[in-house]
Amino acid sequence: MTLALVYHDDYLLHENTPTHPERRERLTYTMDQLREEGVLDHTDVELVEPEAVTEDEILRVHTPDYVGRLKKMSEEGGGALTVDTHVSEHTWDSARLAAGGVTDAVDRVLKGDNQTSFVMSRPGGHHAFADHAHGFCFTNNTAVALKHAQEVYDLDRILLWDWDAHHFDGTQSVFYDDPSVLTMSTHQTGRTLFPGTGYTDEVGEDEGEGYNVNVPLLPKTGDEGYERVVDEVFEPIARQYDPDLLFVEAGQDNHFTDPITDLGVTAQGYASLMNSAVETAEDVCDGRVVASLAGGYGVEGGLPYTNLAVIASLARLDTSNVREPATYEPPADGPTVDGAVSKVKEKLGDYWEL
Amino acid sequence: MILGIDAGGTNYDAVAFEDGSVVSAAKRSADTDDGFETLLAEVVEKVDGSGNAEVDRVVVSTTRVLNSAVQNRLPDCTNVVVPGVGLSPELAYSGDENLVADGCVDHRGRVTEPLEIDGEPSHGVVAVTAKFSTRNPSLETEASESLDAPTVALGHESGGALGFPSRAETTVANAKSKPVFESFESSLHDALDETGIDAPVYYLKGDAAMLSRESARTTPAHTLRSGPASSSLGLVALTERYAETPSLTNAVCVDIGGTTTDVTLVKDGFPALVDEVEAGCISTFYDGVVAVNTTAGGDTRLDEDGLTGVRDGPAVAFGGPSPTPTDALHVLGAVSEGDATAAREALSALGDPEQVAEEVVEGFVSAIAESVRSLEGHEDVPGTVVVGGALADALASRLADRLDCISDVIVPQNAAVCGAVGCAVASVSVRTHVHVDTARGEMTVASAGPEKVEEVETGVEYEEDEARELVARETAEATRRAGGDATLDEIEITAFRSFNVVEDGRVVGQITDATARAEPGRRKR
Ligand SMILES: [Zn+2]
Repeated sequence: MTLALVYHDDYLLHENTPTHPERRERLTYTMDQLREEGVLDHTDVELVEPEAVTEDEILRVHTPDYVGRLKKMSEEGGGALTVDTHVSEHTWDSARLAAGGVTDAVDRVLKGDNQTSFVMSRPGGHHAFADHAHGFCFTNNTAVALKHAQEVYDLDRILLWDWDAHHFDGTQSVFYDDPSVLTMSTHQTGRTLFPGTGYTDEVGEDEGEGYNVNVPLLPKTGDEGYERVVDEVFEPIARQYDPDLLFVEAGQDNHFTDPITDLGVTAQGYASLMNSAVETAEDVCDGRVVASLAGGYGVEGGLPYTNLAVIASLARLDTSNVREPATYEPPADGPTVDGAVSKVKEKLGDYWEL
Repeated sequence: MILGIDAGGTNYDAVAFEDGSVVSAAKRSADTDDGFETLLAEVVEKVDGSGNAEVDRVVVSTTRVLNSAVQNRLPDCTNVVVPGVGLSPELAYSGDENLVADGCVDHRGRVTEPLEIDGEPSHGVVAVTAKFSTRNPSLETEASESLDAPTVALGHESGGALGFPSRAETTVANAKSKPVFESFESSLHDALDETGIDAPVYYLKGDAAMLSRESARTTPAHTLRSGPASSSLGLVALTERYAETPSLTNAVCVDIGGTTTDVTLVKDGFPALVDEVEAGCISTFYDGVVAVNTTAGGDTRLDEDGLTGVRDGPAVAFGGPSPTPTDALHVLGAVSEGDATAAREALSALGDPEQVAEEVVEGFVSAIAESVRSLEGHEDVPGTVVVGGALADALASRLADRLDCISDVIVPQNAAVCGAVGCAVASVSVRTHVHVDTARGEMTVASAGPEKVEEVETGVEYEEDEARELVARETAEATRRAGGDATLDEIEITAFRSFNVVEDGRVVGQITDATARAEPGRRKR
């Protein structure tokens, strides 16, 4: 089957606080939408129940000290890593299951069982560093999965595009000196959004210099702006880097209804982002795309439609009718991305032909 | 007293059933116009000679919808879909004509875009299915009122599960089945009126549970496997009552009819089920018994090459036009009722009667044995076979000899009317989808038939045990609406989840979403 959709009901267990933006209904409304659409019964979609990774697999990315601290906090029934990142009794198991979901999704595609895969998991991971975490994240699920992939499969290069509205500070730090994983982030500029990092001059270091790409975007940037970044930054770099696998960290918090960010992407915009990713992957890596849900806090008006859009794109289904209901007022035209694109060209021009 | 009626394509069988026993039984050819009336009169008369016996309920199985479906005689249907936003509406195109209407219901059950139907259905049979209609049926109801078609089936009445394309497909199946079911239903009810039987009427679903008359009229595609479900259920009951086998757990059941033979599988004392039953050009998301149907029965016409697969009428021994396996069994002395001389004469036309008879019976038994073997794909085939139908006694041991996997063969008393007995022992089962949204202040309870939509107090947060109790209570009530009875203990909640609704950083309510089922009859087994 084309797409492996990785999901487990236990992804609903972990909770921060009752009104925290990173809540279980981020997934429940989407799962209802997918069930009602018939996606889970579709012949091109295979529903896969993931297994948790072991502590050793987590230790490929995280320090024993941090893992011990997280585990203990969870075992003792709770605590907080930061003011908005809360640990519950379920957090350690949920984080291992989330990392397991991403790992299974990578395995599915690299073994050739499925052309593409999507992981519908929580908690997220891209703000998790080796020795600490913040931003609703605990373990860096993507990093755990990619380290596993590098160990098990014969891979020279992985292209990781993180399109979450927030800069992927944790993921950037894990692969900062590693040219075998080219990390690229498109996000709302750190001047106006957590975590405040992610500028174009953060290009990687040592062997990894030139292999970290940040594209900070102005608030309100919409579908057109993102489209240009795809054409002028993502695609040229993808073709030149020529990866064996494309990984998309699919944050749905660029959506115009998102309550904690300030961007203007629509469900149709998301469909076209993922279609571009899939088409590029078809040209450079036999269509192997693994995508994983990152942020996204517009639980009712955003996630059901943006998730459906990217999942349908990955399954190569018709996305032309995927949109928000008319009760949501569409976003106004966004600002130009000229500044961001030329900044990227300037800072990364030495490494890539842009 | 319960009346069980098995209305097959060839014969109508009826039993009067009381305290676990068959009190009287009758059989009539389906070919005659007054089949039901004489059948009902006879079975009631036989009970105590007065014809005044008190009937508590009437339960019916019918192959009418199935036969029309496999013979491609169902009417064309216009499928009106209200897909709102999402994947291509084409995924729900299951009508002979498909009409896409504007309008949108979201996952919370809110109407986010109004209904607008552009165009007129070209067919008088119409199905209307809206996305998320089980969370809010109002657009479907509005569409059905504005269309004013003679026959309409609605998505939210077809079942409560999420899955817009398969709900649309099932709704089309119900719409197309409605006219044929209604004509069958009204002739039966006329006969009941004539006979003076005034009792609630139920129909057997393909999953061997029964459904109220009202729900069956709404969802007649439920009856697609009604025939094999009734014989399977009946053979289990008869074996346990009459064949010194107090509890039959696993068995193969064979019901040899006039036109066809049904093979079913019993597992843990109940007919084994499959999901998504389909027949001919219709598909549903309903469960049905595992069944293999062979077009070979006691009345199948014979020619020089043996069984033809076609029935012209009864056997020559019973005044029919052409020789049949029943006539062949007469020649072999395996049956006694009927005109043996006429049967022998008819077979002589095809060659040496003894030799022809042996070959025919051999071919007939092989065909049934082949059906039994084809069950192997489903489960391990049990070593016990229970045989029903008019020719059960004559064929049971020959069938057992044919099958290495069978060690034990049972023909219980009253096996000839096993389908009618199956109806008499059936009970109501209900599956519900309960959705409570206290932020919107609305609860929907969807099962088969009209959905219950009710206001609930806004802002309430239930404890889990309170919410579970609410789901159980609503399911018990849905069971009563379907004509059954289940205590709260008999209700099984098969899926449950609950979460807060947060708006602007405040908890404004709670959503509880659960599926539950009541299968009181099955639980007792
Ligand atoms: Zn984010």
